[in-house]
Formats: sequence, structure tokens, C-alpha cells
Amino acid sequence: MFFRMIFGTLFRQWKKMLMIAFTIALGSSLATAMLSVMLDVGDKVNQELKTYGANITVVPKENSVVNSLYEVEDGGTAVAFLREDELGKIKTIFWAFNIVDYAPFINTKVNIGGTETDAVGTWFNHHMELPTGEQLDAGVTSMRSWWEVTDGKWLDEQTADNANCAMIGTALAQKLGVKAGDTVHISGSASDADITIAGVFDAGGDEDEKIFMPLDTAQSLGDLDGKIDSIEVSAITTPDNELAVKAAKDPKSLTISQYETWYCTAYASSICYQIQEVITDAVASPVRQVADSEGAILEKTELLMLLITILSLIGAALGICNLVTASVMERSAEIGLMKAIGAQNAAVSGLVLTEIISTAVVGGVVGFFAGWGFAQIIGHTVFGSSIEMRAVVIPLVAVLVLIVTLAGCIPAIRMMLRLSPCEVLHGK
Amino acid sequence: MSLLELKNIYKIYGDLHALDDVNLKVEKGEWLSIMGPSGSGKSTMMNIIGCMDKPTKGEVLLDGVDIAKESPKNLTTIRRDKIGLIFQQFHLVNYLTAIENVMLAQYYHSVPDEKEALEALDRVGLADRAKHLPSQLSGGEQQRVCVARALINYPEIILADEPTGNLDDANEKIVVDLFHKLHSEGTTLIVVTHDPEVAEVAQRTVYLRNGKLHKETINEHFTGEIKFDK
Amino acid sequence: MKKRQMYFRMITASLVRRRSRMLVALLSIAIGATILSGLVTIYYDVPRQMGAQFRNYGANMIFTPTEGTFTAEDMEAGRSRIDSGNIVGVTPYRYESVRIHELPVMAAGTDMEQTKSTSPYWSVEGTYPASSGELLLGAGLSEQFRLRVGDEVTVSYTPEFDGRSGEETVLDNTKDFTVTGILETGGPEEDYAYMAMSDLEELTGISGVIDLAELSVSASSDELKAYTEKINAEVPKIGARLVKRVTESETTVLTKLQALVLLVTVIVLALTMICVATTMTAVVTERRKEIGLRKAIGASNGGIIKEFMGEGMLLGAAGGIIGSVLGYIFAQQVSINVFSSSISFMPLIVPVTILVSVAVTGISCLLPIRSATQVDPALVLKGE
Repeated sequence: MFFRMIFGTLFRQWKKMLMIAFTIALGSSLATAMLSVMLDVGDKVNQELKTYGANITVVPKENSVVNSLYEVEDGGTAVAFLREDELGKIKTIFWAFNIVDYAPFINTKVNIGGTETDAVGTWFNHHMELPTGEQLDAGVTSMRSWWEVTDGKWLDEQTADNANCAMIGTALAQKLGVKAGDTVHISGSASDADITIAGVFDAGGDEDEKIFMPLDTAQSLGDLDGKIDSIEVSAITTPDNELAVKAAKDPKSLTISQYETWYCTAYASSICYQIQEVITDAVASPVRQVADSEGAILEKTELLMLLITILSLIGAALGICNLVTASVMERSAEIGLMKAIGAQNAAVSGLVLTEIISTAVVGGVVGFFAGWGFAQIIGHTVFGSSIEMRAVVIPLVAVLVLIVTLAGCIPAIRMMLRLSPCEVLHGK
Repeated sequence: MSLLELKNIYKIYGDLHALDDVNLKVEKGEWLSIMGPSGSGKSTMMNIIGCMDKPTKGEVLLDGVDIAKESPKNLTTIRRDKIGLIFQQFHLVNYLTAIENVMLAQYYHSVPDEKEALEALDRVGLADRAKHLPSQLSGGEQQRVCVARALINYPEIILADEPTGNLDDANEKIVVDLFHKLHSEGTTLIVVTHDPEVAEVAQRTVYLRNGKLHKETINEHFTGEIKFDK
Repeated sequence: MKKRQMYFRMITASLVRRRSRMLVALLSIAIGATILSGLVTIYYDVPRQMGAQFRNYGANMIFTPTEGTFTAEDMEAGRSRIDSGNIVGVTPYRYESVRIHELPVMAAGTDMEQTKSTSPYWSVEGTYPASSGELLLGAGLSEQFRLRVGDEVTVSYTPEFDGRSGEETVLDNTKDFTVTGILETGGPEEDYAYMAMSDLEELTGISGVIDLAELSVSASSDELKAYTEKINAEVPKIGARLVKRVTESETTVLTKLQALVLLVTVIVLALTMICVATTMTAVVTERRKEIGLRKAIGASNGGIIKEFMGEGMLLGAAGGIIGSVLGYIFAQQVSINVFSSSISFMPLIVPVTILVSVAVTGISCLLPIRSATQVDPALVLKGE
């Protein structure tokens, strides 16, 4: 009979129940969407921040003192080098998955038509097939996303006719009077080459006075086969905390468990440490300008989303609570009647609770999927990728919906218990 | 010409003939009771007279106007101007005070007049309870507010649906006495009831059974006083 | 008594005497309005606040001399072309080749206080130089010369020796410095020795010379472009350039962040408004019987709609006002907690919030009232 009554309410009063289910679905979809977005926003924003370029640089140990800012005198060619054949190892470290991009650099002095200038050998969109089966296109094409190609186009390493191509900075191009498509004769310290200009770029910095070419072209010009000066690495990192700061100073000062935690967290310093483990005689250090700012922005964004999430959760909770209260109160006549024909308080409360909770379950499940959809809409519209669904969202939403629904029933049930049947039936 | 005339009224729901060829005339100033068991068509007839429903077939002439042919909007206007309704459940707006409930009827009719509303309450003996909310009034008092509300706009007809159904004997008497007073002032009263004691007070009683007018009795000894068979 | 007076008397009676039900409705509207005003305030404030965060990346504009060097007056002239409210910091730099332990080293004279604004990412072990004779040494140099915080070092400078054609031998200028801080950046700054501009001027004996100025300006990329064009046109000795890496990336990321907050705001608002609407619907549906009664005693449909809408809209307005206040408080709290700065009050949001609350409650009341007025009063009164 109990279930018959419940079915009676659910199906015969389906309009009202539908409205409650609908509101609960709204609340639960709101909670699901906001929680999913909030939990994933860190990764997403981190990806976006990669447009600032490398956050870790790797240089040879003996040569970590190099003058390169503002083209100082004596900023001569480096004396120590990293080995090109070790580059692949960067994608084998513990946090390899977090390394989204990297590029090697080799500098050499060249002479173009009588003008002394710096030539830089690097990867543009170097294609790598990793042992893990993963494929990666790494290089300056993505790591210098702020370069504006004013003439021609980006050099594409993967096409056949790239052998003798280069990209030239606007300032240098102006000085030499060359444009995209021109061929220039370049004499390096070891050999000469005829190079076609694939594109002219505006970097808004010192790079505008340099010429960038594929790694092996620059190496052969300067007789530097297999050698590189530095590596720039773009990694997704966790903002530093005290542990990371302590570890960055000296990893040996940590206890074993602290070391484990540090090593297995994607701090910039632990990734640097791991890179140093695989690259011979190298010093990897975080680029503070990028790493610190990333940390600050990430933290702010996550906190902002957290607070917005809390506000919407409170909103959703109060909304559900409210409607449940309103709709249970509305049924006071029916409840008075039940009490009049002998229902105990417990029986009436049980009935109402079962009804509301079964409605809440239906609404909650529907809302969960709707919220997942909303999260995907946000992910695709804003970041162009889907939002990863965290398992923790499911219990969170479930608990939230249940608590909120029950809380919504409390004032209504209190009212019902006070209700005297004769009052209700006499239309007061 | 009669104040109200029902000519060959039918109200048909599917196969059910709620009203089946009913003819009835009510004169101005008359006190009429409509009696009948549950399902006899009393409520349907009351709804039709009260301009809340329309017959399937037939004419309802109120002051010579066939209300069966009027639009719902005009029906509302006619009801507002000519009918005063009294309900078994009182149906007072529970957040308005007694006087405000009376004024509500004035408000929809023309303009609210607090003084006049107070006089109406005085007529039903509730002047001192004007500022009370319905929840603070007894059933009988609520019904008297309802009566005051019904008569405030000087309707042609006061239509009462089981006015004493929810009242004890003492309150029943007060309400019937009020009816008597109204009647003696010339108000036309139609009381729908299944309580013979209340019905028999009227000048004339019609009996409904299965949607037909079954019989009609005239009260030879009309006094307007209720007698209890104890 | 006027008809209008009775109208307001009824509405206020309904609101005041049905307190608990009305509180339920009011609460719901107030929540909606809070979310509306709070999120919209945040949405409008995010670019400003986040923009400030992005200034962590440091300078986004540099002044370079069009020929040789420029002076502090030129820098000031350039700076005055930018709205002072937008300027986070302006740091002049002058570079000279000096010698430490007879080895050539690049020294930079600068304004230490300003570097904190234009290069907030600098990590200094020890303290920034605060007075004359103090030196901030790059980590690279610190390692090269084995100099630690607190160590004393003599810096020498050869006048007239411009680093390229040094035939004359002149007596060196020397000055003693105490190393107060070691600078770590992970970048080329680690190979410089930073000192106060006045110290470098004393050392070289030449003053009023600036090689470069870094500016951190909080503005959109279009505004920044406009500033550089203006400065380049009006201050002939200065070439203003944008640091593309910073400005371009900031635009990209900030646009995404704003889109994120916008979308979140839209979705949250839509869901909240629907929530408010369902609650209002429930509250009105509850009163079908009363609507039936009013019809029975002669109210026209229009009259009933007018009364209930009046009540709903009054509630909407009250909820909107409460929500505007709470929303502002919320936005303020968010701003203080997240960005540690207070939010700018936008007066426009208040009327918008109230209007939207009134509109949403109005619309969500209208539908159930209309359907209730369609119902036969007789049926409603019979307790259907």
C-alpha cells in the first residue's frame, strides 16, 4: 500500500513531481558542470599559458654563464655543448607526459653578404615518434606563438623542399633588403650555403636581428655537428609551494618521503631535476618570468572558479530546498486527510520523504548528464577541448543533491507534524 | 416577467445528463430552496445560475438576458453585478481581514468603500471583528463575513451553496436569521442545500433528482424562522 | 477609498500576512539576483583584475633610444603619454661594462624599487639594495666570483673606455660595494650586476643617461598599440616597442579566461533563473483556489493578472534589491580573497539586476496565473 501511494503521487501528480525533478535536475546539472569545470580549469588554463613559451631552460653545466641579454660584447660562442642525440630522452622522464613542447638551439656567427649576424639552428615543427607510440611535433612554431609572420610563411620542416630554408627577423631582413622567397648566400665559420628565405617574422625583441634555420643547417655552417647550446622546454607544472622552494635549493635537504612527494609532483623544480638526470652535464632551471607568473595566474583562476562554484552550489541548494518546501507545504490538505484517517507522523513523513527522494534521484541523474553536457560546451567553446570528467564529481553531486533535498523537506515535515487534521479539513 | 427563468435546460457530460430538461422561474424577492441528494444536479444548476457554467442546451434568462449565450468575459461582469455568492467552505482570502474580504467584492464591482463595508459587517453582527483575519474567526463568523461580502454590492440574487454545511446549529440559526432579514428587505434568495430544516424555511422548495425537477412544495406557513426537530 | 489604495492594500496584505510563503519566494528571487549581480560584477572586473595578475610577466613595453641614449626627461615625456592609472611601473636601465676582480662584467644601473613592479618574478636571495654602495648580483656572477650575500667587492670602471676602442690608459674609477642580494631569474639577468642608478653615475662620472626603459602597463593590446604610436610620434628621442611575447600571449590567455567566466556566468544564470521561475510557479500554483474565488466574486481575468503580477513584481523588486547588495558583497569577497584588491562598484548593475529580477518573476508568475484564470471558478471552489 505504501508503494501504491507513492506511485499514486508520482504518477497522478506527475506535473508537480516533474517540476520538482526538473528543479533538482537543474541544480544537479549546475553542480556537475561547475565542479567538472573547476577541477579541470587548472589544466586547461595551464595549456593556454603555454603561449608564453618555455618555462624551463637547459644549458651546459660549464657554460651556465653566458651573456646574451641585449647583445652584449664578448657574448661569444659557447665553449660547452649539449648533445643532440640526447634530446629524445627528455620525453622519457617521470613527468614526460607534462612536457608539451621543447626545442634545441645552436647559435653560430655567420656572414650574409658582408653583414655579420647570428644564425640560430633549431626545430620548427620537428616530428618525433616516441617509444611510447605517442607522436609529437615540437619546435619554435608552437613555442614562439607570438611571432608574427609578416611575409611568407612559417618554415615547415616536414615538407621535402625545406633543406635550405630559413626564417629571418624583420630587423635583419630590412638591413639586408631581403624578402620571403629570396635566396641569400650565407658563409659560416665552416662552410657556405645558399639559403631560401621562407618567411620574415616580427618577434618584438632581439630575435628580430637573427636568422633562424633548421638545426642541421646551422650545425654544418658552424661545424657543430651533433652539438646544441641550449634547450627550451615547455612543461605543465604545478605552482610552487614551500616544499618545492626547499627542494629547488637543495634536493638533498629533503627527507625521503618529502623527496618522494616532490619528485612525483610536477613542480618546475622537480621536472628540472629529472631533466638533469637524463641530459649529460646539463643545468635545467625554471624561467622565473614564465614559471612564477603561470603559478600566480593558475592559482587565481582556480580560486576564482572555486568561489563561483561555491556561489552556484549555494544557489542551486537553496533553490532546490525552496521548491521542495513550497511543494510539500502545498499538499497540507492531503497530509491532513492522511492524518485524519489515522496515519502516524512517521508514516506521513516517510511517505513524503520517499516520494521526494525518488524524485530527486531521477532528477539528479538526469541533471548529472545535462551538467556533463554543459561542461563539455564550456570546454569546447573556451578551450577547444573536452573537459575531463573526474570520478570525484559523481559522489559529490549525489551527496549534495541528497542533503539539499532532505534539508528542503525538514521545514515542510516540521509543519506537517504540527498540522492538526481538523484544521486542514475545515479549510483553514 | 420573472427575475430568473430557466427554459429547457440540459447539461450533458458525455452520457451523463446532469440536468435534463429543467424549467424553473424565480420571482423577484422570492426565497427559494433547491434540494436534492448528491449527484442530483444541484451543483450544476447552482453553477449555471451563478454564471460560472453554461448549459449544454436551453435558455437562462436573468433580467431578460439569456446568459447562456454570453461570453465568459460578460458572464464575469453579470456575476459581479447581479449575483452574490455564499459558499459552504466560506472561501475567504485568508490573508485579508474580514473587512478587506468584503471590500474585495466592492473592489471588483466598483470602488472599495470602507464605511459601507463596515456597515455590511454590522448587518451580520461582526462590526467589532472587522480587523480580524479569517483564521481568527469561528466558522459561523466566517460564513457571516461571506454573507456580508455577498450582499455588499446589492445583488439581484444571493446564491448560497450549502451555506450551513459546515456550521453547528447555533451558527446555522444565525445564518438563516440573516437570510430572513435579507428576505424581508426584499433580496431574492436561492439556497442550495440538502438539509431539510434549512430548505423548509424558504417560501418554496424545488427537489431535484437525477437531473430532473422532481417535485415542488410551497411553504404555507412561511415565517422565515428555522425550526429544529429535536 | 481609491481603487488603487485597495490594490496596494491587497498586495501588501498578501506579502506581509503570508509571510512564510512569501519569504520562500523572496529568498529564491534574492538568490537569483545575488548570483546575477555577483557574477556580472565579477565578469566585468575579471579583465581588470586578471590583467593585473598578468603584469607578473613584467614589462610589456620598452623604450629604446632612437640614437645613442636618452635622458630621464625623455623617459618622463614618454611616460606622460600613458594614462597614469594604467602604469604599473617604469624602470630605467643603463648598461656599462665594469670590472670585478679584473674580469669584465656588465653592470646595470636602475631604480631598484621600480624593478619590483616591472620584474616581479625576480627571485632575490637576501635583499634588494636600498642605499648607496649596495649591489644586487646575478646568480651566474655570484657563482663565477664566489660572492655571497654580505661580501664586499670593489667594482672598477675605466672612463672613456667604451669597450671597443680602448687605447688610452686612464686611471680607473673604483667604488666599494656590499652584495645585499643574489638574483635568480632562470634567464640572462643572472649574469648582470645591478646597482642604483646614482651609484653607476658616480662610478662612471657621467649622469643623465638611460639606455633602455622597461614599462609595465596594464592595458589591452589595442590600447598599448595606441600608446606606442603616440609616443613614437610625439617623443622623437624614444622608440617605444611592445614586448610581443608578453602582450600577444596576454591577449590570448585573457580572452580565453574572460570567455570562460562569461560562459560560466551565462549557464549559471540561465539555470538559476529557471530555478527562480519554477519556485514562483509553485508559489502561484498553490493559489489557484484563491484565483477561482476572486473570479467567482466578479474579478475579471485582467484584474487578477494585474494583482498577482503586481505582487510578483514587488517581490521581484525586493529580491532584486537584496540580491544587488548581497551580490556586491559576494563579488567584493571574491575580489579580496582571489585578487587581494577591492572591486569597483558598477552602479549600472543595480538597476539591471532589479529589472531582470522583476522580469523573471513577472514572466514566471504570468504563465501559471494565466492558466489558473482559464480554469472554471466553480471547479476550483469545489476543491479540485
